[in-house]
Amino acid sequence: MDIKIIKEGQKTIVILDGRIDTSNAEKFQNDIAPLLVGDNPDIDIDCSGMTYTSSQGLRSFLTLQKSVNARRGKMVMRNMNPQVKEVFDITGFSNIISII
Amino acid sequence: MHCEMILEEYHEKQPIYLKMQEFILEKLKKSFETKGVVVAGIESRIKTEKSLIGKLEIKGYKYKTIADITDILGVRVITNYSDDVDIVAAIVENMFEMDWDNSVDKRKMLDFDRFGYISLHYICRIPASLFHDDAMPEINEFRFEIQMCSSLQHVWANMHHDTGYKTEVEIPVEYQRNMSRLAGMLELIDEQFSRIRKEITDYRRKVQALVATGNFDEVPLNGDTFRSYLELKPFKRLADKIASINQAEIYEDSLMPYYNVLIRMNMKTLGDVGRMYKECKDAAYQLALLQLAGTGLDIVAYSVTLQNLCIVYILKKGFGEGGLVQMFALLYGKSDYNNQRAHRIYEQATKLKLV
Repeated sequence: MDIKIIKEGQKTIVILDGRIDTSNAEKFQNDIAPLLVGDNPDIDIDCSGMTYTSSQGLRSFLTLQKSVNARRGKMVMRNMNPQVKEVFDITGFSNIISII
Repeated sequence: MHCEMILEEYHEKQPIYLKMQEFILEKLKKSFETKGVVVAGIESRIKTEKSLIGKLEIKGYKYKTIADITDILGVRVITNYSDDVDIVAAIVENMFEMDWDNSVDKRKMLDFDRFGYISLHYICRIPASLFHDDAMPEINEFRFEIQMCSSLQHVWANMHHDTGYKTEVEIPVEYQRNMSRLAGMLELIDEQFSRIRKEITDYRRKVQALVATGNFDEVPLNGDTFRSYLELKPFKRLADKIASINQAEIYEDSLMPYYNVLIRMNMKTLGDVGRMYKECKDAAYQLALLQLAGTGLDIVAYSVTLQNLCIVYILKKGFGEGGLVQMFALLYGKSDYNNQRAHRIYEQATKLKLV
């Protein structure tokens, strides 16, 4: 899993590429740690390169969403491929995280 | 001559009044917040020199020093409802040292045939136990006024003040009569607002009692009742069963977004929701089993229960893929993906012989 974090004005663009699974979940959690601080975050996650997420990935996204909510910010995940989107759907995570 | 001395004192003691003002406002705000009392606003002012001169010209003989004037610092707490004035008053009484001899409940002073500015005026001091500053001992000696009134009383007071009731010009009787008529009308509106709030509170209590006793058919489905219903964790067994597929952790998210879906599905009472659960829970579990088994996904949102219940209900009622697309559009907005998802689920449901 590769992750790029780009600051564009007030917005933070996150570009994900590859799989999030047991082997790299901890690294992914560390990689997104900078997104867990700051007021009124506006995070846009481009998932077009993400090919899979495990439960650990879901947990990381949940942690991030909760942190964003607590800081009165917003977060969207976009361009998710249907296979990855299905993981969010069948676990009910589509009800928690805004996916467009 | 002594009026000039009072004016001198007024200027000299400004820092003390400013300190008192800052302290009182902060203290009141914090106290309302802690006690969960919602107020429409808190205003304060230090009397202007012009206003003080006006007061001294008329009643100067009554005051020996600035400390005799009780309204140099004035605070007004404005409540949304007239009923809340007494709650605010109780907080003020507990917080400050009261000068009861000079406090006035104007609400009790009006004759039965008079209407007007009906507010509660308290004269208080900051007790040393609450705040003390050796450099400013007057902070605990000077009195200040707290007025407490409802938003409508506040509006009336402002309008009355703005139209010049304090001027020496004689106000024509017709004008006074019109102001009184308005005051009477506002008093009636204030009462109605309080009554409506009480009725809503009573209704909520009644509904909560019905929900608690399980008389769901008697409880209309609305945002309030659905929220109370969800507190009973009505889908917990299904959630546990779905979680057991992968020994998953359940993340307790809100099911409130599904309220609009239930309404769209023409559910009228909580009894209807209960019946849907009874009729669809097994198939909702089967659907989850088909989707989750073998994935190793060991976290699920609590909302997956109602998600699957609604899916099964829609398909059982014969609304097909179109019904699912509408449900997803209600929850997540319109998108092409909704069609793909509906189609995928429809195929899964066919396998499970739900359609």
